[in-house]
Amino acid sequence: MTVTLANPLREGLRLARTPEPASLVIFGASGDLTSRKLVPALYNLALQHLLPASFGVIGSARRAMTEDVFRAELHDAVAEFSRTRPINEEVWTTFARSIRYVPTPDESGFNELGRVLARVDGEIGANGNRLFYLATPPAAYEPIIRAIGAHGLRGASGWSRVVVEKPYGHDLDSAMRLTSVVQEVFREDEVFRIDHYLGKETVQNILVLRFANSIFEPIWTRQFVDHVQITAAESIGIEERAGYYDSAGAMRDIVQNHLLQLLALVGMEPPSAFDDRSVRDEKVKVLRALRQIAPEEVGELTVRGQYGQGFIGGERVVGYRDEPGVAPNSQTETYVALKCFIDNWRWEGTPFYIRTGKRLPKRSTEIAIRFRVAPHRIFTREASEGLDANELVIRIQPDEGISLTFGAKVPVQGLRIRSVNMDFGYGESFMVDAPDSYETLILDALRGDATLFTRRDEVEQQWAFVDPILAGWHAGRQELATYAAGTWGPEQADALIARDSRTWRRP
Amino acid sequence: MTVMDEAFWGARAGSIDALERELGRLRRAAVAHAKERGQALARASVLNLVVYAEREIHARRAARAVADLALRHPSRAIIVLGDRSREGVLASLQLHCHVPQSDGAQPVLYEQILARVRGDFDERVASVVIPLLVPDLPVFLWWTGTPPSDARHVDDLVTLADRLIVDSADFARADLTLPEVARLARLRVGITDLNWARLTHWRELIAQFFDVPTWRPFLDGITGIRAGFAVDMDGRDIHPSQALLLLGWMASRLGWRPVEALAPSEAGGVLFKMARSDNAAVMVRLRPRFERGLDTGDVSGVRIQAALGRESAEFVIKRAPDQRHATATAVVGGVVRAERVVPLPALGIRELLVEELAIAGNDHVYEAALAALMALA
Ligand SMILES: NC(=O)c1ccc[n+]([C@@H]2O[C@H](COP(=O)([O-])OP(=O)(O)OC[C@H]3O[C@@H](n4cnc5c(N)ncnc54)[C@H](OP(=O)(O)O)[C@@H]3O)[C@@H](O)[C@H]2O)c1
Repeated sequence: MTVTLANPLREGLRLARTPEPASLVIFGASGDLTSRKLVPALYNLALQHLLPASFGVIGSARRAMTEDVFRAELHDAVAEFSRTRPINEEVWTTFARSIRYVPTPDESGFNELGRVLARVDGEIGANGNRLFYLATPPAAYEPIIRAIGAHGLRGASGWSRVVVEKPYGHDLDSAMRLTSVVQEVFREDEVFRIDHYLGKETVQNILVLRFANSIFEPIWTRQFVDHVQITAAESIGIEERAGYYDSAGAMRDIVQNHLLQLLALVGMEPPSAFDDRSVRDEKVKVLRALRQIAPEEVGELTVRGQYGQGFIGGERVVGYRDEPGVAPNSQTETYVALKCFIDNWRWEGTPFYIRTGKRLPKRSTEIAIRFRVAPHRIFTREASEGLDANELVIRIQPDEGISLTFGAKVPVQGLRIRSVNMDFGYGESFMVDAPDSYETLILDALRGDATLFTRRDEVEQQWAFVDPILAGWHAGRQELATYAAGTWGPEQADALIARDSRTWRRP
Repeated sequence: MTVMDEAFWGARAGSIDALERELGRLRRAAVAHAKERGQALARASVLNLVVYAEREIHARRAARAVADLALRHPSRAIIVLGDRSREGVLASLQLHCHVPQSDGAQPVLYEQILARVRGDFDERVASVVIPLLVPDLPVFLWWTGTPPSDARHVDDLVTLADRLIVDSADFARADLTLPEVARLARLRVGITDLNWARLTHWRELIAQFFDVPTWRPFLDGITGIRAGFAVDMDGRDIHPSQALLLLGWMASRLGWRPVEALAPSEAGGVLFKMARSDNAAVMVRLRPRFERGLDTGDVSGVRIQAALGRESAEFVIKRAPDQRHATATAVVGGVVRAERVVPLPALGIRELLVEELAIAGNDHVYEAALAALMALA
C-alpha cells in the first residue's frame, strides 16, 4: 500500500524534517565509526524528536554478538561520545528497543538479515523503506553491496538507499569500479557518498553567504580577487589509523575529497536552485574547469611533506616515521600544498592555494579570499604602512565565523591607516550548538535529499585531478620534504607561494 | 528607591543622548574587562526586543528572562515600564542602562535599557522607543499582560514591531482569552502566543504518528479526542485555553465542524461534539487534572481514538515516566505497534522566546486554529 497524500498535521511545524519510517541497516556495526559517530547521531536525533515515530536500526558485522551485548556497547558509546550529556536513560531505553544485531559472516547471515528486515518492516510499518549504511573498511564495500543484491535485501516496496563512507576508491579506476558494482544494485540517485565536511553547518553557510547575499557575488571574480587560500590544518597526528593512513596519505585523505569540495563551493557558479541536481551540477562544472597538474608540473605546483619530531602545545611528539604502525622509511605525505587554477571566465588567472597537514601548530580549517589592493593610492606610503589588502575569511572549524579586514583611520591627529577586523561568529550570533554533521547527513539520507552528498561524476573529477599529481610524485618528480611537528609545514611550501610574491596566512 | 533601582536597572541617565553616551562607555569597559581575561567580546546583535510592562514585577521578570535569552539571541532590550500608579503626576521619563557582564566561557555584549514612563504617557511612549532601536534589526515587541483593545500606545508600539509576542495564559480572564487573542489580529502584525508555543512539542509528536504511511489513513477515521490539562490542587483556576488551541489546531487541519457543546462536564471540563468532513461524529473531552509540577493550563496528555473499517487504533501521548518526558504509543488493532520516550523539556519563558524568535513570518496555522475555536464558541 502506498499512501501519497501528505500529512495535513505537518504544515507549519518547525521540525519539518522528520523522515518516513524506515529501517537503517549498518554494516560495520561493531566498528569505531558506528560507536563514535553514527549511533550518537541517531540518539541525538531521537532526543530532538527528529526520528520517525517508528524506526528500526539493524546492526551487522561478521562477528557473533548477542543483541544485549550490542546494545550495551552502544549505550556506553553514546554515554561517552554523544555531544549532549549525560545520556538520557529514559530516551535511550526506548530507542535501544528498536536496535537489533544480525551477524553476517556468510551467506546464511545475509538470509537471516533478510528475514529480520521483513519482520521489522511489518512491525514498524516501514513499508519497505531501507537505508543501508556501509561503515566497514572499504575492501568490504563491494562484497556487501553484491550480497544486498543477491539476497534481495532491497524491500519489495518503498525506497532503498545506500550510504557509502569515505574513502570512495583510492584512484579514478577503483572509484569507477566501485560505482559500477554499486550500480548493479542501486540507481545513482539511491547512492549517498559521504563527505562529512558537507554536513558541517559552516560549509553549507558558504553557499548561504555567497548566494543569499547580493554584495559578495559581484566581487567574487578575478577582477576583484587576488587569490584564494584554503587551509585544513590539524594538530593531531595519525592517532590509531596508521594502517589506513600510511597507504593513503594527506592527498587521498583530505585533498581529494574535503579540500576539493571546499574549492568547488567557493569557486562554483550560482546554481539555479538549492537542490541536489542544481548544486551538484555546478560543483561538477567547476571541478571540470580545474586545471590539471600534469606529472611533469608537480615540482613547480605542488609540495609534499612529512612531519618529523617536534612540539605540539608544549608536548614533545614523535615524527611520522616513529609513529606505531608506520614503516620506518615511509614515503607517505602528511602535508600537501598546491597551487591551482580554475580555467573559466570567472577565475582565469586567479590562483587557488590549498594546503593541509597533520601536526601543524593548531587545528583550523578556513577559506581566505584575498582581494586586490585599491587600484589607486591616494594616501601616502607612510600613512598606509599598516594597511593590507581586504580579506574575507570564512572559518570552518573551530570557532566558525566570517571576518573581513579593511582599512580604517587610526584616531590620532594626522593620517594613519591600519587594517582592522570585522568579525562575525556564528557561535555568538546564534548561540546554539550546531548539530553534528552526521546528524545532518543521516537525516538527509533518510529523507532522500542528496544535496550534501557527492555524486558519481564529482568523485570521478576529484580523482581525475589527484591521480596525475600522485603519479608525478610516484615518478620522483617532487621530493618529500620534512617539517618539524608544530610548524606550519615545510619551507618549500613558503617558497611555493613566495614565488608569486605572496605569503600564507597565519590561521 | 533610586538606589535600589540602580542596583537592578543600572546607571541612570538624564536624556536619550546621555544614555547613548553611557552605553558607549559601558561597552568599552566590558570590552576592556573581557580583554583582561584574554577573551574577545562579540557585539553581534541580532534583534531589538521591546518589552512593555505595567507592573514592576513583570518588568523585572521580563528583564531576567531577556538577559538569559541574550545568551542565545544577543540583543538590545528596551524595557518600557508604564507606571500608571501615580495619577495626576506630570508625564516623566526615567532611563537606566546596563551592560551585564557574563562570566561564561563566551562573553556576550547585551544591552538593556529601562525606560520608566509615568503619568499620562500614552502619546509619548513611542517617541522614547524609536531613537533607542538598533537600526536594521528586527523589532520584537513583547507585551506582558493583556494588551488593551483600544489604546494609542498599543497601536504606536505595534507599528514599530515586526512581531508581537503575547502570552494568552497570562490574560486576566481565562474565558475571554481566546477572543482577546483573536482581536489582536486587527493589529496587522505577526502574533506569537507563547501559549501556542507551549504546544509545539505536542503537535510535533501527534503529527509524527501520521507520518507513518500505514497509520495516516486513521486521520480520516478519528472518532474521539481526550486531552487533559493541569489545574491547581483545589481546581479553582481552570484555564483550558491551551487544550482548546490544540483542539482548534486538529479541527482546522482536518476540516472538522463544531456541532454542539454538550454542557460543561465534571469539574470544569469541556465536552464537545464535532463533525468530520464525512459528517461522522468526533467526541471531544477536555478534562482538568491536578498534576504536580505543571503550570496551570499545561496539557498533560492526549488520546486520539480512530477507526478504519473494522480496525481500531489509539494514539496516546502521556507525560511519562515523568513530567519531563513524553511517552508516545501507537496501538493498532489492539497491539502496541510503537512506543517511545522523548524528552519534553520544561518550557520557561526563555525557551519559549528562543523558539519564537527563531522564526520571523506569520503563523497561519495558529491563525486557523484560533479561527476554528472562534467558530466553536
Ligand atoms: N572512525 C572514523 O571516525 C571514520 C571517519 C571517517 C570515515 N570512516 C570510514 O568508515 C569506515 C569504518 O571505519 P571504522 O573506523 O569504524 O573501522 P573499524 O573500527 O575497523 O570497524 C570496521 C567494522 O567493519 C566490520 N568489518 C571489517 N571487515 C569486514 C568485512 N570484510 N566484511 C564485513 N564487515 C567487516 C568490522 O566488524 P567485523 O570484524 O566483526 O566484521 C567492524 O564492525 C571506513 O571506511 C573508514 O574509512 C571512519
